[in-house]
Amino acid sequence: MDTQINTLSVEQPRKTSTLSLPVHIYLLVVRSLTTLLRTPEALLPPLAISIFFLVIYQSTLGKASSFIPGIGGSYLGFILPLSIVSGSLSVSGIAAQNLVRDIERGYFDKLLLTPVRRAALLLAPILAGAVILGIQSTIVVSVGLLLGLKPTTGFLGLLVVIGLGVLLGLGFAGFTVSAALGSGSAAATQGASFLFFPLTFLAPTFVPLALLSGWLAVAAKLNPITYVLEAMRSLLNTGWDAQAIGTSILACLLLAVAMYALAAFALSVRTRRS
Amino acid sequence: MNDREIVVEDLVKTYSGKVTAVKGVSFKVDAGKIFGFLGPNGAGKSTTIKILTTLALPTSGWGRVGGFDIVSQATDVRRVAGVALQDIGIDPLMKSMELLVLQGRLFGANKSEATTRASELLELVQLSDAADRRVGTYSGGMRRRLDLALALVHQPKVLFLDEPTTGLDPVSRRDVWREVRRLNREMGITIFLTTQYLEEADELADTVAIIVDGKIATEGTPANLKSALGEESINLVFETPEIAEKGRLSLEQVGDRIQLDRDTVRLYLSKAAGSIPMVINQLQQVGVSPISLTLTQPTLDDVFLQVTGQRLVASETAKPKSPRSNRRAEVN
Repeated sequence: MDTQINTLSVEQPRKTSTLSLPVHIYLLVVRSLTTLLRTPEALLPPLAISIFFLVIYQSTLGKASSFIPGIGGSYLGFILPLSIVSGSLSVSGIAAQNLVRDIERGYFDKLLLTPVRRAALLLAPILAGAVILGIQSTIVVSVGLLLGLKPTTGFLGLLVVIGLGVLLGLGFAGFTVSAALGSGSAAATQGASFLFFPLTFLAPTFVPLALLSGWLAVAAKLNPITYVLEAMRSLLNTGWDAQAIGTSILACLLLAVAMYALAAFALSVRTRRS
Repeated sequence: MNDREIVVEDLVKTYSGKVTAVKGVSFKVDAGKIFGFLGPNGAGKSTTIKILTTLALPTSGWGRVGGFDIVSQATDVRRVAGVALQDIGIDPLMKSMELLVLQGRLFGANKSEATTRASELLELVQLSDAADRRVGTYSGGMRRRLDLALALVHQPKVLFLDEPTTGLDPVSRRDVWREVRRLNREMGITIFLTTQYLEEADELADTVAIIVDGKIATEGTPANLKSALGEESINLVFETPEIAEKGRLSLEQVGDRIQLDRDTVRLYLSKAAGSIPMVINQLQQVGVSPISLTLTQPTLDDVFLQVTGQRLVASETAKPKSPRSNRRAEVN
């Protein structure tokens, strides 16, 4: 304990520059990824479940798929997008749990006492989730290839499929992160993550959109997941379809914008001094 | 030197229009001093510290920390103030080096500056050997020291410590005290400290304020408070409560104040030592004699008891100079 504290280096900290937002986002994304990778027990089950369902659907329904008209290619190419979309959902839940952990443990407040840009507190867990989601989707797609998937649009098409999965996940994460900021509770955030789960079934999940009818068809048409599934399927089974891809990107962006407005509001409530 | 002062004027905090946690608190902490803020649970200590550190807004009144307004210049306050709040946590999955570097970079240092600073601070709080371990594996004392280091990353001029040693063993507690004293003496940091341990305030603080029910009940140096409010006492323990009662009756006219607690009689009076022969004499006249006789010098504990009407619950490590159960005692 003979350190000379009065000779500590580093002059007075500088004023925050306008460049600080990207820097702060980078720092906090690295930090979020560090903690996420140190909790593999939270990351591995969703990945395992995605792969499990992919294999199960393919083995049980793959043979029967010739009875379903309009699949337009392999059943594997039809069902793999569902695995990726459900992965987007579960990873958005993980990102929000990571944030809620910080709130519960008080680390979030500790960050609030630094000059950190408030937007970075919101964006970092979401972007860290996107990185995890990219990795997870790549693994799921690789398993698909091992099972015999032959994408019509080739390697580039697979990249677009993964990209769409990540984009959709960003929207979901906007919602779950809002729940985390709004409630500050792990249980409530978990509950909110499940709200999106039924959405995967209010969509052309197991049969093409044309075969849905009545209220389910209406619900599916309002559901952004529908357009993402359609675009992914076209990429894997039929070929480049600019309109399908454009519509799905638009659907993802609409979802993301709405969810960010919500998240920004939740952040302002959480960080408001009262 | 007002860049190291804390000034608070008529601070009021009302929650959701109903509960008033702080009812007009005013005080000033001079540059380079250690200010001990004492009070029973729920008296308004935490609320006051939250307002001063910009985590909460006052309902009315104003305050300045290091010359900056706590309401309108919150960002500047955060730059001059270092904060280690009791309920503000550290991420157990991170390593202390990572936490310190991140904290430094958020305060504007580049990677190499932040790393150098982090190593120095780890050295300072004696955690260099644990720098690469996850914080989750740390002991309570290690976490407190890390928290102190985190509060110092940006070289604050004013340091807020909320119960920095609560839950620590006596050895770790002394380590933290030594650190706090060094920071104050060698770097001239003004320190605002809340504590449940009167011993701690006595040991560290230049000035002590006791907050009761949202108001400051008394303020002064520990020595002044003790001599003004605390009294010396002669403590007599008798064989049975009945004998003690008999002893109490015989001594009623002797001291300023007398208390009976089961088999113990406590006689408050100035110049207690000089009065011992007279006390013994009085007791002999009624034919009782104590099995023990001790003298008690006033402690901050007595001051606290007088001011708040209760003892601090957590003072289990405070030296048991004064008797424990005072519930039935009359306070004034």
